[in-house]
Amino acid sequence: MIYKVSYVVVGKPHPGAIVNLDAPPRVGDRVQLSGELFEVTEVIDLIPPRGEFAYLHVTCRPVQETT
Amino acid sequence: MSVTDLLQRSELFSGLAPEQIEQIAALGREVVYNAGAVVIREGDPSDEMYVISSGMVEVLVSRGTIPDVPGPPQLTPIVRLGQGQLCGEMALVDRGARSATVRCVEDGTVLHVIPRQAFWALCDGDHHIGYVVMRNIASDLSFKLRHRNLQARLAGGAS
Repeated sequence: MIYKVSYVVVGKPHPGAIVNLDAPPRVGDRVQLSGELFEVTEVIDLIPPRGEFAYLHVTCRPVQETT
Repeated sequence: MSVTDLLQRSELFSGLAPEQIEQIAALGREVVYNAGAVVIREGDPSDEMYVISSGMVEVLVSRGTIPDVPGPPQLTPIVRLGQGQLCGEMALVDRGARSATVRCVEDGTVLHVIPRQAFWALCDGDHHIGYVVMRNIASDLSFKLRHRNLQARLAGGAS
């Protein structure tokens, strides 16, 4: 299965991204979008799967750096 | 991984047999871009569609010029697209001018370039390929619209 994922970023200005993944993202995962690190806060099925593709929406927020 | 293997991971070719994907792959060519390279410029005429084989691009739209400030219109990013995604497909379908600018954001981004004329000739000659590919382009456009709707709803359209 190929997971076509729509990433929407909250908490900072960012255009989000659409990417294909080999495994489904999960809440709590950390994901890099072109070098920026985000934490997944929500994963939902956007539309029903078709063929080899599943379609997911992910909401994510910037990872707070700790010093 | 071969070009056909990479293209098989794009929704554009979902539902096609490997030999049919090879037919489409044979129409195009691969081009490698570095970060910052502009692949598509808003307003330009169009005759090609792109499949992202690896790397990432950013889609930007102009917000118009600022009065009394010289220079080109300000570009605002609306989405980033990674491996397997399409760009330039709107102009392939409607033959209009480019609706947005596409710029690479990662060095070594590889795009598979499909020329419109050869692509349409293949679809006209094989209606099954034409139907499947057009359905997949419609599905991709729908997904992008859903992404924009979620972006507007959750992030307030921030970009």
